[in-house]
Amino acid sequence: MRKFVTVILAVFMIAALIGCAQKQAAAPPEQPVSQATDSTSQQPGMSTPATPAEIAAAVKEIETKIGDVYFAYDKYDLDDKAKTTLKSLATMLGKRNVSVAIEGNCDERGTKEYNLALGDKRAGAAKQYLVSLGIASARVSTISYGKEKPMCTESTEACWAKNRRDHFVVPEAGQ
Amino acid sequence: MIKRFLSTITFIFLIAFFITPSSAEKIYLNITSPGVKKLPIAIQPFIGAKDVSDIVKADMMFTGLFDCLEDAAQIERPDQPFTVMSWKGLGVEMVVKGVVTSSSANSIDISIRAFDVTDGREVLRKEYTAKRDILRQLSHMIANDIYRILTGQQGIFRSKIAFVSEKPGSRLLYVMDFDGDRMRSLGPRAGIMLAPRWSPDGTKLLYSSEKSRKWGIYVYDINTGTELNTNVPLSGLSIVGNFFPDNRRFVYSSSRDGNANIAIGNIGGTAPRRLIATPWIDVSPAVSPDGNSILFVSNRTGAPQLYISDIQGYNTRRLTFEGNYNTSPAWSPAGDMIVFASQIGGRNQLFTIKPDGTGLNQVTRDGNNEDPSFSPDGRYIVFSSTHDGSKGIFVIRANGEGLRRITPRGFRSASPAWSPF
Repeated sequence: MRKFVTVILAVFMIAALIGCAQKQAAAPPEQPVSQATDSTSQQPGMSTPATPAEIAAAVKEIETKIGDVYFAYDKYDLDDKAKTTLKSLATMLGKRNVSVAIEGNCDERGTKEYNLALGDKRAGAAKQYLVSLGIASARVSTISYGKEKPMCTESTEACWAKNRRDHFVVPEAGQ
Repeated sequence: MIKRFLSTITFIFLIAFFITPSSAEKIYLNITSPGVKKLPIAIQPFIGAKDVSDIVKADMMFTGLFDCLEDAAQIERPDQPFTVMSWKGLGVEMVVKGVVTSSSANSIDISIRAFDVTDGREVLRKEYTAKRDILRQLSHMIANDIYRILTGQQGIFRSKIAFVSEKPGSRLLYVMDFDGDRMRSLGPRAGIMLAPRWSPDGTKLLYSSEKSRKWGIYVYDINTGTELNTNVPLSGLSIVGNFFPDNRRFVYSSSRDGNANIAIGNIGGTAPRRLIATPWIDVSPAVSPDGNSILFVSNRTGAPQLYISDIQGYNTRRLTFEGNYNTSPAWSPAGDMIVFASQIGGRNQLFTIKPDGTGLNQVTRDGNNEDPSFSPDGRYIVFSSTHDGSKGIFVIRANGEGLRRITPRGFRSASPAWSPF
């Protein structure tokens, strides 16, 4: 009997949790959306909150060792080099209790809306690969910037190649 | 709609007396026929306010349909009564005279008369009273009245263009008159903002904004000056889209399910409904003006092309076969034409095509051009371009003639949308 009650209670609690999660997803746009920075301790998929030192170390490792993932023109498939980069990112995420935001970018040649969809695909491809490597989906967010936030602004192939990228940031670091 | 818009923004006071011409049926210029020849007319400097007649003249010249006789070539003075003999030899078909007086400190009265040179009779007599601070809008209204007499069609001179100003780090929703005058920020700002689209009744603007890493779809209410939320969740990439004829529902592209699909959203009300879902990118949907078809971009054949489906998302057919990068489509207000950007040599050029896939026609030839939007009469296209090296808003006639910059050089701006009449 007691076991039965526990099960019922557990079911109720899970239902309540799902309800909360759904409510949060459908929050009206004026709600603050910087939840990632405010609620680090509740990041799903992590047991203990990341310490400031851990966050700083993660940021440094991304910036100095891991780097960005690059794509061919109008493509969003990951080549071997991209997969190697993502594997090292997954290794870092395995060690450190932080989440990661993937920013998908494009070069300036395409049009705004299609480029945003393309950047979204590029970010999504990296996320999917990280999840396939065992990283919890909830720790990885994606955002597309299309061609709106280029890191290089010249109209040359060298510059375009630099802009066709997934860039990684750590939301806990306020990035 | 525009009257309502103005009453909120500037509080106008305007009365127009219309003395109907005896026979309004005569059309001086049939603008629906192809290869139309320019009609010579004379707009005399208005007595008391030459700036008003200058605006009217600029509007007429903008259309590329008229030749306005120079002031210096006119024999009859503006204050002399209309005489056929003064104009016959100059070859003009119509003469417009105006008198501007001031009845009080901030109010003006304008009296307009138009004369048919061939028939030697008055075809328009109209009086306007307005506050002085809306002189520009009033001048455009006079231009619309003259345009209607000459062509039998509604003029676009009181229409507006919404767009996004691209300042580093922040994007702002802007609106200006069709000629680039009276440019002003409406208030909404975002990290990235794109594609403001007018509701068919002209009272709302639908647009996509990225704020703090979340893409959302918002509506700006022109009458109240407020930003409204929609029922689109802040999840994944969401990009409009345009309104249905009911001014409430809209189509948009959403990657909420992990891939860019096409859905129908709402200002409030029920949850969004998914319409077209494939493993490919499906983006930039546009409902036809009659509300029966959806035009969109898909890379289902490997590269982006235009497609048209019915309103349920079924019976999809490919529209474009020339070129391997066709995006950024928009319907003409009559639904008889589609404008889009096609990539040639790494740059996007505008083309028009009929909804049945015939009549492909190149509109622009220089610069990098995108986000085209038709004028309410379908005769002009506004778009963003780097034509002269500085990214801004340009207007061109749908036949590719009369390219002109609308926003000032150095004022970075994009995503223009032409309002309804």
